[in-house]
Amino acid sequence: GEVAATEWNVSVWGKRRAFTEHVEKLAELVSEKTGGEFTMNISYGGLSKNKENLDGISIGAFEMAQFCAGYHRDKNPTITVLELPFLGVNTLAEEVAVSHAVYAHPAVQKDLARWNAKLLMTSPMPQYNIVGTGEPRDELAEFKDMRVRATGGIGKAFSAVGAVPTSVTATEAYNAMESGVVDTVAFAQHAHLAFGTINRAEWWTANLNPGTVNCPVVVNTDAYDALSDSERDALDSSVSEAIDHYLANYGALLDKWDGVLAEKNVTKVELAESELDAFRTVAADPIREAWIADMTAQGIPAQELYDLVMKTLSDVRAGN
Amino acid sequence: MASGAAVLESDHLISRLDRWLLKLEQVLALLSGIAVFSLMVLAVVSVGGRNAFNAPLPGYVDWIEQAMPLIAFMGIAYVQRDGTHIRMDIVISRLKGRALWLFELISVLLILILMMALVYGSWSHFLRSFDFAAPLWSRDSSIDIGLPIWPAKLLAPVAFGVLCLRLMVQAWGYGRAFVLGLDAPVAVPMIQSAAAQAAAEAEQLADPKAEQE
Amino acid sequence: MEPIDIGLWVTGGLLAMVLLGMRVAFAAAMAGLVGLVWIFWAKFGYAPDKFTKALTVSVKIAGQVPHSKVSSQALSLIPTFILIGYLAYYAGLTKALFEAAKRWIAWLPGGLAVSTVFATAGFAAVSGASVATSAVFARIAIPEMLKIGYNKQFAAGVVAAGGTLASLIPPSAILVIYAIIVEQDVGKLLLAGFIPGAFSAVIYALLIVGIAVVFKSVGPPVRGFTWKQRFAALPAALPIVFVVVIIICFVYNPFGGDAWGTPTEGGALGAFVVFVMALIKGMKWAQLKSALLDTAKLTVMIFTIIWGVLIYVRFLGFADLPGAFSDWITSIDASPMLILVCILLAYAVLGMFMDAIGMLLLTLPVVYPAVMALNGGEAVSAADSAFGMSGTMCAIWFGILVVKMAEFCLITPPIGLNCFVVAGVRDDLTVQDVFKGVTPFFLADGVTIALLVAFPGIVLFLPSLAG
Ligand code: NA
Ligand code: NA
Repeated sequence: GEVAATEWNVSVWGKRRAFTEHVEKLAELVSEKTGGEFTMNISYGGLSKNKENLDGISIGAFEMAQFCAGYHRDKNPTITVLELPFLGVNTLAEEVAVSHAVYAHPAVQKDLARWNAKLLMTSPMPQYNIVGTGEPRDELAEFKDMRVRATGGIGKAFSAVGAVPTSVTATEAYNAMESGVVDTVAFAQHAHLAFGTINRAEWWTANLNPGTVNCPVVVNTDAYDALSDSERDALDSSVSEAIDHYLANYGALLDKWDGVLAEKNVTKVELAESELDAFRTVAADPIREAWIADMTAQGIPAQELYDLVMKTLSDVRAGN
Repeated sequence: MASGAAVLESDHLISRLDRWLLKLEQVLALLSGIAVFSLMVLAVVSVGGRNAFNAPLPGYVDWIEQAMPLIAFMGIAYVQRDGTHIRMDIVISRLKGRALWLFELISVLLILILMMALVYGSWSHFLRSFDFAAPLWSRDSSIDIGLPIWPAKLLAPVAFGVLCLRLMVQAWGYGRAFVLGLDAPVAVPMIQSAAAQAAAEAEQLADPKAEQE
Repeated sequence: MEPIDIGLWVTGGLLAMVLLGMRVAFAAAMAGLVGLVWIFWAKFGYAPDKFTKALTVSVKIAGQVPHSKVSSQALSLIPTFILIGYLAYYAGLTKALFEAAKRWIAWLPGGLAVSTVFATAGFAAVSGASVATSAVFARIAIPEMLKIGYNKQFAAGVVAAGGTLASLIPPSAILVIYAIIVEQDVGKLLLAGFIPGAFSAVIYALLIVGIAVVFKSVGPPVRGFTWKQRFAALPAALPIVFVVVIIICFVYNPFGGDAWGTPTEGGALGAFVVFVMALIKGMKWAQLKSALLDTAKLTVMIFTIIWGVLIYVRFLGFADLPGAFSDWITSIDASPMLILVCILLAYAVLGMFMDAIGMLLLTLPVVYPAVMALNGGEAVSAADSAFGMSGTMCAIWFGILVVKMAEFCLITPPIGLNCFVVAGVRDDLTVQDVFKGVTPFFLADGVTIALLVAFPGIVLFLPSLAG
């Protein structure tokens, strides 16, 4: 019969923003390269709840989706290596390199294969930093009893220095700050802008860099295998271009960030290197060791994954 | 608008089944009510802990999200039993006798098919979050304190399963009424005019012994 | 067939099932499931051997929705709000409120009717459900009005109309449902309900005073309460004040400074205050148990509609019907305000036949994006918008308008639940009597809605203070 056009449904959430620009770009490139034969329909929340995008991929509800590992650690234990506190990733390019190295590891691919998912690319996020009200906190001792909105590994890191991590959903973060439920909120820059927490802020930590979340884009394995060779080529060859577009776009947002801080009169707090070292000693090592022990007990090559991250990081820096 | 219609009773097997199932349904519904109450207690503890001791309840949001399915699903069969799930009876209230029972039968059978499908669908949703080999059998965990989610997901197929039993009793009840041409069948909610239904509802709410002055 | 055509066919089927008396929750879920199967099978080119696959995928998608949608912190407000209402009843708050209102304002022309309106408004501050409010006040207020010679139909109409205030004045289950569907801040919506709710009560009161002045026979004033008696009636009604203060302060602190917590916490603390009052009033386990069972029943009913309709909404997402509808609405060559008024009128017609929650859940997924697009989109600034307000404010404004419409429908024939309830409580009243008595209040509601449309500031004043 006639050759049917391929149309993929893609499930992301929220609104179109810096965080979804690579998906938008990918759809554009793929359609261009196949002369409109292979198109992607990007749905912002219409096809699934964000925490269930992996379920949707596994069912075959849609062909491509974005999710964050920290939303459901047990669904994707291997990727959580990238969410360990104080990995020392400094730039978005480094974040891309370590993510893609980890995604290529067989243990990680096996982990995701349980969801019939194939890892396509990452959505690099800068390090989370906190915004707060009141006097800027630039010493570790001042973090004691600080109520901070932070989840997962970053939350654990803060509780290691005596802060009180408080559960508030991202959408309630602004309210929580306004109402004093929390003193500080940890987010990436685009989320501080999107969820309005920057509007309540009096200070922002520029170099705390406790860690970030990892949000891959995956495709349904069967759908990927069913693509024609030219369609698959179009998809695979567009990934790096899409990531470049994302980095350029996010870079522009980060350039704007200092302007936003100035405009809203937010103090940029730099912690002394000795303070940061002290934080890392208390938080990074014990949490990483606990993670490695836990994961190893589940049969995951945890030490290997962590070493892979460190090696990739030094390789990237050596290449620069 | 929480009250439904009357369900007649007799010694017939189907009525005994109806009442046996009702006991189970009431226990589940009360569980639901107690879960609402604990939601209130949870908030008091969380606000109190935060303000008095700077110690908010860890994972407050996670716990609420875990409790919600308990509240939302467990009473579903109890509500179906007396016909409280809302509908528009502007057409159906004009029907009488066999025509009415036929309509009700078809409607209940459609719901039964739907719910059997959803038992399967929600069960597979549960299975995706469950793994015998994993710690705490968990393959899906909450965002903040990593609670396993499978127990909450399991509640849906369980509650829907009980609803399927209820729908089978009602299908039998309506089918029997249709075949025998009954006026007042047992084990199914008797259709009432909207006005009579409202009266029953107001009766229940405005129980004079409750208004204590 | 295009997904959008499938969307329209399935929506038609849904309306047919609802009209023929299938329970709304299950009709919606059924429509959603059938629609999903249709969409997926169409995607597989209707190949006979692919039908099972389409069916399995669809059942699994539908099977996710109940747990997925119900486990939400914001939705936890609904059961707490319902619990507050039932507990308030056992705490004897209804009688206390009516007594206080009577002693303070019954000296006005039509005074007892005005007292009833303000007492229902006060009860609305602890009750999330309109029908329950009417049922309770039909018992307390109608006999007193009849005793001093009120027109029977008019007295019934006052109670039926007064009950509708419960869903605008927070706590309000229906405002929470709106907030969830349209993904807006629950706290701001609840806050937005206060002034329009109080405003509706004042319009009702003005109407009653006007009627009583023109037709002397309708309702004589009641005089002779001493100031001592007046103040003596207040303490019993105090819990209402607590609850109002707690709920407001947990959303926005009018005394300056930070709010006290999140709306979810505020709702739960309000329930706790009323629970303690009910204990003091001598509530026993048997009564608590029946309050819990009633709460569970109403909650489950509402949640079943929520997830049932959301299965249908999930199907709409795959069919992209909301997008198509809002494209169509924005392409109509008429002023946005005229289109908005037409939408509100359509709600008035639909509401004659449908239950409020079911109506909102079924229509909003399609209508809300269209209204937002009409205003210029979610992110539009007030200056660039069609209605002169930002996207967020438009969402709040439209929410209050729609909820007011849904409340209006509780008193319009042929299906006006509040009127049925009032007639049900009183053996000497027929439904026709109540519908007759409530007719003047259509006028009041019409004026209220027109003013809310013309002066959005009435709705948006409080939420804009909260930032
Ligand atoms: Na209310
Ligand atoms: Na009506």
